Amino acid sequence: MNTPLEDGQNLRYAEYVLGVLDADMRAEVAREVAVSDEAATAVALWQRRLLPLADTIGEVTPAPYVWARIQDALQLEAPARVTPRTGFWDNLQLWRWLGIGATAVAAALLVVVSLPRPTPVPAVANAGYMASTIQQDNGSAGWTATMDLEHARMVVVPATPVAFEQGRAPELWLIPAGGKPISVGMIDREKPTTLALDPALLAQLGPTAVLAVSVEPIGGSPTGQPTGAVIGKGAIGAAPNAGDRVALTGRGQADRTRV
Amino acid sequence: MSVTSPAERDELNRLLQQAGRNDQKAFAELYRRTSSKLFGVCLRMLHDRGEAEEVLQETYTTVWRRAASFDSAKASAITWLVTLSRNKAIDRLRQHREETLDDPAKLNETVDDQPTPAAGAETSQEYRRLQQCLEELEPQQQSSVREAFFTGATYNELAARCKVPLGTMKSWIRRSLMQLRTCLDQ
Repeated sequence: MNTPLEDGQNLRYAEYVLGVLDADMRAEVAREVAVSDEAATAVALWQRRLLPLADTIGEVTPAPYVWARIQDALQLEAPARVTPRTGFWDNLQLWRWLGIGATAVAAALLVVVSLPRPTPVPAVANAGYMASTIQQDNGSAGWTATMDLEHARMVVVPATPVAFEQGRAPELWLIPAGGKPISVGMIDREKPTTLALDPALLAQLGPTAVLAVSVEPIGGSPTGQPTGAVIGKGAIGAAPNAGDRVALTGRGQADRTRV
Repeated sequence: MSVTSPAERDELNRLLQQAGRNDQKAFAELYRRTSSKLFGVCLRMLHDRGEAEEVLQETYTTVWRRAASFDSAKASAITWLVTLSRNKAIDRLRQHREETLDDPAKLNETVDDQPTPAAGAETSQEYRRLQQCLEELEPQQQSSVREAFFTGATYNELAARCKVPLGTMKSWIRRSLMQLRTCLDQ
């Protein structure tokens, strides 16, 4: 059913749906659609005709932190209510859950980690994700960090806003076992922060390393090492491939986070 | 994709309507069922995972805010969602197309330009019909329409990529669109 508007010179609704118009023309058609039923109907018709092409686009599962960011942006209720689809979603839920009642859960954690495991969790062997709950000294979670190894990125989501005095801000550190802290970057107190992980940092990620947050001047530590109080620490857990049992860090790290 | 069955479509429609009534659980379930599809769409257009993640986030925050305006009589939920993500991705491309297109590093994550459905993807009856109509087009015109749809490129960009004058590209696409309409509306 062709409306008269679509005929002759007027293919711009089709062009709009196909996506070939430049920014100005797009905006013009979008305005038209908003105010004119006729235009909206014409666009809807073209969507019905052309959108089936999207059937051929393969699905790609987004990293779990995207949902965390959406929840954060919309201030939806935590904990995440997304139910597991792959093994990693289990983990996502786990780390969010950890972020809420970390102290109460610590004992349960130790039970989980002491389940028989034939081989240690490989550090970066499984391309995928790692996660960490950065606990404050009072036992409540300060931040949760997810590391996307394949794309060398870390997203740090505040669990509860932490108060800082004027001119001070949180800086995130990676502390390799027996090594010196390496700065990962400044993180936000209230919003999720995305940090790029350079190869040197990536190489150190693993269940033997710890994340820590210290109080630093706004621009970051002037010395390259933590200068202010350390207000939170968290062990790094390797995220297993889909279907695996949730893997956590060894007992040592779980203990260390409580120091 | 899994939304080819009428039952699944109805279910998504229902979830989106519930989200429109501020049902967070329905919204979370909608995300669980559709985000991989929409992320595939964003990634295909933007070629950059970080940008695709941002656009996906924008898409779903808009979904939550606008879900009440969804009308299942006009479009199915999945069409509504895919359209929204495509529009956001195209807007993003228009905002800073230079960086995205001129940086070869950004092409690394290109999802293969599949002329046929991704392995394992089920296609809808609507797709098969569209495919038949596309095959009636001249090969060059057919590939221009696909390129346009999947990459969100402007006429200018398409003409440059295919090394033809702008006028030629416009007439290829417009002729194709008219032909498709005739074929599909039979």
